[in-house]
Amino acid sequence: MSTPSDDVLLDIHRRMVRIRTFETEAGRMAEAGKIPGALHLYVGEEAVAAGVMVHLSNEDWITSTHRGHGHLIAKGGEFDRMFAELFGRATGYCRGKGGSMHISNMDLGMLGANGIVGAGPPIAVGAAFSTKYRKTDRVAVTFFGDGASNEGSFHEAANMAALYKLPVIFVCENNGYGEYTPQAKHQAIVDVADRASGYGMPGVVVDGMDAMAVYEAADAAIERARAGDGPTLLECKTYRFFDHVGVRGMGLTYRTDEELAEWQKRDPIHLFEARLAELGVLSKDDAVAIHEEVLAEVRAGIEFAEASPTPDPDTLLDDVYA
Amino acid sequence: MSSRGAVGFVANPASGKDIRRITARASVFDNQEKTAMVRRCLIGLRAMSDAPIRYLADANRLVESALAELGFDGEAVDVETNGKALDTTNAAVAMRGAGAVVTLGGDGTNRAFAKGWLDAPLIPLSTGTNNAFPVMREATTAGAAAGLLVSRRIPLEAVAERAKVIHVDIEGEPPDLALIDAVLTQDRFVGARALDDPGKLVAAMLTRADPAGVGMTSVGGFAHPLAERDDATLTLTFDRASPRRVVAALAPGRFESIGLGQTRTATLGEPMRLTGPGVLAFDGERERVLAPGQAATFRTLRDGPWVVDVRKVLTRAVACGGR
Repeated sequence: MSTPSDDVLLDIHRRMVRIRTFETEAGRMAEAGKIPGALHLYVGEEAVAAGVMVHLSNEDWITSTHRGHGHLIAKGGEFDRMFAELFGRATGYCRGKGGSMHISNMDLGMLGANGIVGAGPPIAVGAAFSTKYRKTDRVAVTFFGDGASNEGSFHEAANMAALYKLPVIFVCENNGYGEYTPQAKHQAIVDVADRASGYGMPGVVVDGMDAMAVYEAADAAIERARAGDGPTLLECKTYRFFDHVGVRGMGLTYRTDEELAEWQKRDPIHLFEARLAELGVLSKDDAVAIHEEVLAEVRAGIEFAEASPTPDPDTLLDDVYA
Repeated sequence: MSSRGAVGFVANPASGKDIRRITARASVFDNQEKTAMVRRCLIGLRAMSDAPIRYLADANRLVESALAELGFDGEAVDVETNGKALDTTNAAVAMRGAGAVVTLGGDGTNRAFAKGWLDAPLIPLSTGTNNAFPVMREATTAGAAAGLLVSRRIPLEAVAERAKVIHVDIEGEPPDLALIDAVLTQDRFVGARALDDPGKLVAAMLTRADPAGVGMTSVGGFAHPLAERDDATLTLTFDRASPRRVVAALAPGRFESIGLGQTRTATLGEPMRLTGPGVLAFDGERERVLAPGQAATFRTLRDGPWVVDVRKVLTRAVACGGR
């Protein structure tokens, strides 16, 4: 495994702060009725996206989920075009026609968020197959949740990836709930990584609230994939601090305030900032400055989106492929 | 409820799943197999004893589901669980007084248990990664031994050996312990926990140095073998540029060339004092961060768990007559 430089540590931190700030403000906008459609926010899970994506270039692919903003931000997504997409404006990544759950950008290797649970893994396998076919060293990372690991699409993708030793990293963001259903009520296992051996690939469990745990595991899995040794199932135990949809959601009582509070004690950004301060890599003042700088960028992104036009109705059928 | 006269069960659902599945070639140990082991162990226990069963209830329900399937009664110890090593430590506290405790896990699982009950009578079955402390043994007869040990009131001293423990004092912080090795590394993070980079090793103390083992015990074993029964401890310092090197099995399926500084056999109780910055790793896993200038002292004593020899228990029971 590589030893991260201070610059890499600061990069991981900034990616997490960018996700947290974007999502917090997006949540505010949604609850104010300014964003159409449903938003599934990534707050709490930032260490996973940041710890994985810091190893990737724009040449590498990812497939995302319905909770996909964090993945795109960590992959290099720009706030103005992201907010424009969420607001349904013509300046958005998908010209305002994709919205939160279908945002994508090929230049960044982001093959798409996806409103269908479990739809990402087969797409990543296809991308990884092209790597093998073209003899490049690009990898494909597919993010999915514990709920998605019950879908046939995941199982078929895992089987094919292992069979052809494709450079895919299956990153399970196990936040303990498939939408509103506790994991114990939708699958008989606790560690999704246990499923890996059934397909002939290694499975690893890491603390998804610890950016460095994710960083190290992703480093090893990606290195393995680039070396031609095949796929890995990397399960990150994490938690979403907001509701399944929006911030407060529908107020369902599927989880307790105490459980949320317990996980919030291990806020991935707070944990990482505390350790970076101990190491002398990032002072508390510098951390505050980064948060403020990112917040200003987020606000500029919102202004850009609000000032952008809605798509011309005449373009309704443009970019429709099927 | 008291644990006195009971047989305890702790099965760690998290063992055997860390990053060494990809940084090395460590075995995969899924929870279905752990449950199957518990089942076999319970059958062995009930074949020899009616002793009450107390267990740690984990999120995977490893013991609970095995009990339910067999129709056996058992009681979960009353501890708060959150899927962390602390669950095992708290369960150990609650199990104090039990006649025997069967653990399924690796070195880390048994270390966590020893933190809650240092001189527990343990039957440690291996399901982890770098397993120097627990043994690979069929669970059926291990369960039988647990039952016989409790029901026959076999003297522990006759069938068990007291393990050595490395006591770790950390300046200004709660103490810690290790069963096999305590290591200072130059790492900056606990991260994915597994001790991975031999170039970052600074110093270590080992209770046993076994060239047939895996992990730090292998490193020590190739430098200067030391058995668990020896009333001594091994201290090592490391120097990545040193021409004096050992090639050792740092992880399953992975040998590394490691530069040695000083290697010394020390007497029990002799302290090894180290200072940060760095990360302290215990039994193969990075656990505690040491700040710059912060001191840590390692000291090995023979005051750890009583590790039960299954064969000795069964042989003694046979000699005394059947059930």
